[in-house]
Amino acid sequence: MSDEEHQFESKADAGASKTYPQQAGTIRKGGYIVIKGRACKVVEVSTSKTGKHGHAKCHFVAIDIFNGKKLEDIVPSSHNCDVPHVTRTDYQLIDISEDGFVSLLTDSGNTKDDLKLPTDEALLAQIKDGFNEGKDLVVSVMSAMGEEQINALKDIGPK
Amino acid sequence: MHHGYHDNNEPDLAKLQATMQAIELACSSIQMHVNPAAAEATILSLCQSPQPYKACQFILDNSQVPNARFQAAAAIRDAAIREWGFLSAHDKIKLISYCLNYVMQHAHSQEGYVQAKVSSVATQLMKRGWLEFQATEKDAFFQEVRQAVIGSRGLHVQFIGITILESLVSEFAPSTSTAIGLPREFHEQCRTSLELNYLKTIYCWAQEAALSVTNNIVQSNSEILEVKVCTAALRLMLQILNWEFQYSTSAVESTKKSINVFSTGVRFDVNSAKRSEYALVQPGPSWRDVLIHSGHVGWLLSLYGALRLKFSNHGYWLDCPIAVSARKLIVQLCSLTGAVFPSDSGQTQNQHILQLLSGILQWIDPPDVVSNAIKCGRSESEMLDGCRALLSVASVTTPHVFDQLLKSVRPFGTITLLSTLMAEVLKDLMDTSTDEETWSWVARDILLDTWTTLLVPTDLTHPSMLLPPEGINAAANIFALIVESELKAASASVSSDEAEDYLQASISAMDERLCSYALIARAAVDVTVPLLTRLFTERFLRLHQNRGASDLTETLEELYSLLLIAGHVLSDEGQGETPLVPEAIQNHFVGLTEAEKHPVYILSSSIIKFAEQSLDSEMRASYFSPRLMEAIIWFLARWSSTYMMPNNEMNKGVKSKTVFESDLQPEQAGLVFLSLFGEHNQGKHILDIIVRIAMTTLVFYPGEKDLQALTCYQLLHGLVRRRNVSAQLVALESWGKLASTFIGDKNLFLLHAAHQRSLSQTLVLSASGMGNIEASNQYVRDLTHHMTNYLVEISGRSDLKNVSQQPDIILGVTCLLERLRGASSASEPRTQKAVFEMGFSVMNPIIILLEVYSNESTVIYLLIKFVVDWVDGQIIYLEAQETAIVINFCMRFLQLYSSYNIGKISLSLSRSLLSEANAEKYKDLRALLQLLSNLCSKDLVDFSSDSIEAHGTRISQVVYTGLQIVNPLITLDMLKYPKLCHDYFGLLSHLLEVYPEMLLELNAESFSHIRETLKFGLRHQDAEVVDMCLRALNALASYHFKETAAGKVGFGSHAAGYKDPNGKMQEGILSQFTQLLLQFLLFEDYSTDLVSSAADALLPLILCEHVLYQRLGNELIERQANPVLKSRLGNALHSLTSSNNLSFSLDRPNYQKFRKNLHNFLVEVRGFLRTM
Repeated sequence: MSDEEHQFESKADAGASKTYPQQAGTIRKGGYIVIKGRACKVVEVSTSKTGKHGHAKCHFVAIDIFNGKKLEDIVPSSHNCDVPHVTRTDYQLIDISEDGFVSLLTDSGNTKDDLKLPTDEALLAQIKDGFNEGKDLVVSVMSAMGEEQINALKDIGPK
Repeated sequence: MHHGYHDNNEPDLAKLQATMQAIELACSSIQMHVNPAAAEATILSLCQSPQPYKACQFILDNSQVPNARFQAAAAIRDAAIREWGFLSAHDKIKLISYCLNYVMQHAHSQEGYVQAKVSSVATQLMKRGWLEFQATEKDAFFQEVRQAVIGSRGLHVQFIGITILESLVSEFAPSTSTAIGLPREFHEQCRTSLELNYLKTIYCWAQEAALSVTNNIVQSNSEILEVKVCTAALRLMLQILNWEFQYSTSAVESTKKSINVFSTGVRFDVNSAKRSEYALVQPGPSWRDVLIHSGHVGWLLSLYGALRLKFSNHGYWLDCPIAVSARKLIVQLCSLTGAVFPSDSGQTQNQHILQLLSGILQWIDPPDVVSNAIKCGRSESEMLDGCRALLSVASVTTPHVFDQLLKSVRPFGTITLLSTLMAEVLKDLMDTSTDEETWSWVARDILLDTWTTLLVPTDLTHPSMLLPPEGINAAANIFALIVESELKAASASVSSDEAEDYLQASISAMDERLCSYALIARAAVDVTVPLLTRLFTERFLRLHQNRGASDLTETLEELYSLLLIAGHVLSDEGQGETPLVPEAIQNHFVGLTEAEKHPVYILSSSIIKFAEQSLDSEMRASYFSPRLMEAIIWFLARWSSTYMMPNNEMNKGVKSKTVFESDLQPEQAGLVFLSLFGEHNQGKHILDIIVRIAMTTLVFYPGEKDLQALTCYQLLHGLVRRRNVSAQLVALESWGKLASTFIGDKNLFLLHAAHQRSLSQTLVLSASGMGNIEASNQYVRDLTHHMTNYLVEISGRSDLKNVSQQPDIILGVTCLLERLRGASSASEPRTQKAVFEMGFSVMNPIIILLEVYSNESTVIYLLIKFVVDWVDGQIIYLEAQETAIVINFCMRFLQLYSSYNIGKISLSLSRSLLSEANAEKYKDLRALLQLLSNLCSKDLVDFSSDSIEAHGTRISQVVYTGLQIVNPLITLDMLKYPKLCHDYFGLLSHLLEVYPEMLLELNAESFSHIRETLKFGLRHQDAEVVDMCLRALNALASYHFKETAAGKVGFGSHAAGYKDPNGKMQEGILSQFTQLLLQFLLFEDYSTDLVSSAADALLPLILCEHVLYQRLGNELIERQANPVLKSRLGNALHSLTSSNNLSFSLDRPNYQKFRKNLHNFLVEVRGFLRTM
């Protein structure tokens, strides 16, 4: 049993890997998948058969986690799919500039200034108001396959 | 728009004209889709205006627009039902007779729908006043209708009279009645009254009406008006015979007709309930003269006979309305049974059925001629009705009587006719074999139902319950034909590849059919089981001889069908119980002493031998497709729950009760083969094969979710359900292999997560087969060690933060959490200790993972679900100290979850991702509420040796603290998820009922959260949610009332009022709810079912807040301008709190009195309060 126990151990360079192969049958609703080179979140999985006495295949409906577009794919369920390595990092919000770019405080004490807030006016106004009121805001940045985006915001109380 | 007028003023003609024009305009604009909203509002305002009767009558009398007349009638109905409480008796009668006169006078009208509407308004109002009208008033109504129905005012009026009665009967039958805002009790009283006093009379009138026109119809050669009258009369008779008769007392003792739910009920409840095609007609002895002795059947048959001759004429054909109605009535009369027949051991009934059959025979006999005629284009409806009649007859007779019926007029019995008819149908089915529902398809289903009705095992001790010998032969022949047609259908279906053709779907679609097949097969089991064996072996051999030479898909498909049929014939579905060997199989083969030659043994072992071939990799690759394996696994699961290591005692027990007396041993009574499958014989070997086949499907069919689901949920789960099988399992090498593969083999980590959970549960459950408790616990420890180890190890890694989000790590963590969940849900007293240790050892890792994965919703959900399942399985067994540990852990868990999620908003711009995120949050919250409910259960059931209170743990406090943590996450938006809403209010009302005092310990935020959610819940659409809120209010108010009565503070400042954050004084919680509830009861729409619980909540509220209640009552009265209504309201309010000797206490009788008072109060005042 000791051999198999290592199957989940990461390789030394795992952090660099952008995707991992995973059997299609094990990918669940709510999990991630790469379709047409895009990192997606699976919102629907269904199975069907190829002909009466054929093998099962999975039908995925997924949403691109960055642009929200819907993508679909059909894969034999015993084959491998690519699963993206999605990470989320929390940063404290230091500043919001006029043009919507934000300044974030990293763990090492530096700032990260290359991300923009979402373009939705109402949402933006809400964040700016909260920020101007002096609320302590933490943004969560999602990154996968070389792309990153702010995807959530949390109010951890007044400064 | 204006339509109001006062009683003494004559309405102004101009105003009436204007109203009519407005309504006409609205009706035509709705038809043309011009501003429909405004038009609807106009029409609605007519319905809702006070006393619109004059205006409506004006429209009915004068408008040229039929739709306007229709709407006016509807408005009369709505207004009268609403204002019923204060219309004078004279007004009510006037309205009804107006409607009645209207339809009679317009009997020639072309607009049938207006006529129907006005008739139905008349009957609805009649019903509304049914319990208050004088007998003379009702008689006058019926006299008027009777004059019409007997035809003294012409055919048109006669037709109208019949339709009025139709509408009356349908209003009085509870299932078809219209809601009129009164409790069910009222509808029941009306039903009883009509059934006892009028229904038979109405039937006689319909008979008379039909008789009066019969001669003209028979003599005419073309369509005449009489046909319309006769059709309506036939329809009315059919409708009356469909009535659910309740007063047909003096039950018949003879045969199976007496419905005794507890003894012979099987026939009626279990099996017939599913069959919608027929319902027994049991009107009782008072109907004997009308239905049996009046020559009614003879008249009906000759009428239909005459119609049959006319089918070539203009205006008559097989499916013309009068023919259809006549046939339906004939079929319905076949189901006549019960006390309507004299108790002459069925003679009269048999004559009655025979008379009917003599007419019906022409529709179905000879079967080949009938079938050919249909193939040549004749309508099939007559033949199908004939089949339905056979079904009806089968449902009221024993197999013996059923068969004998025909023998008096034909050289063969009814069962022979049934089987030749079915053979014709099956032949046609084989010839056409399309997917569409053809006539033969429908006919087959009806005839199968007929067979089922005859064959469903009832009391087998009585010889008349058994099929006669010819019947058994017929069953054998029919079964052979059935299998032939199924096999043909199977091989034909190969070419069509329907994607959704899964085993589960096809089984449930076919299930009813397969059950009927099984019944037929079991009726002739000594022929049919060998037949199945032969067919199966032939195909099995074909595979072997072929060895990959040609495409054998057709054979595979045939094997698939045979497996399904054989599974149904050999065993019944257990539905969680252990099914016994079917009685038919027990009762046959009595003299057989050589177990190996027993047909059931031969069939079973040849199928198992076939299944065993799938272990061979070459055979597997060439023939055992996932679909075929599904059928195999399904068969093995079903078969093994009956035959695998059977409990002889149980099968013997049944035996002694049936035909064979207890001096026969099971060995002698045809069950000799059972011991072959026992643990001391081949049982172990077969079990081993089954386990190895199961493992094959898990390892060698990667990604075949459906197949693996069957293996996990049905086969393996079924095996560990019985302790004696588990004991054998844990001793098997193959089971040990399955366990070690589960622990260490990569393949099983690739199973669908839910299957891993199930497998883990199954393996832990099998520990019950170990010899002693220590061994069982050790078995579980060995199984779960890898799960806990991995989680402890990974959560201790220094680089956890970096690696945790890698997909492979996430996959590993989720798999192991699922396995832990499975093991947790297998908690049994015997293995409780090991499962507790398992959860205990991962408590820390769980907390760490909760933090690391706070952004990874799928993992978070599994973490919560694991804790929920673990607590659920453990809590009742835990000792005080362990309980304290678990509770601390749960609180820490809740707190952490809350701190990561409070105030978090998703910034995703994709709507579907946002709604996904919301749905995930909802699932989390629902699981957290479940956790709180599970903790609550410790106070209800507790198996520990000492009280947890002694150790300072109070469950009530714990749960309230939990609620306080979870509450801020449950926003009103989240409560829009119905299941969450349900769970939340369920928990809340439980907590408030059991521990109301704890509410005081909540902080202000939580308290106001509960207040606001209760307000939200009171306005919810779901009556059940409202009901739970009302229960919560009752609990709140009665607690406060009792406390203050005892001189304590109760809710103190919460009840007295408080200052909101802006410094404004707010009312106390109880006064807020008093106002809210009164508002709700008086002015809003709700189901009448809620009135009782609303009363229960209102009474303590009034007792707590009587000053406020007085004030609100006075305000309500002051607002009323009309002096008459004002005094009515005053009186009603007064009697609400004073009538029925209501006292100021909260005991059960008082609650009941108040329920009555509130009910009367609402009937009295709601009508006018809501309009003005």
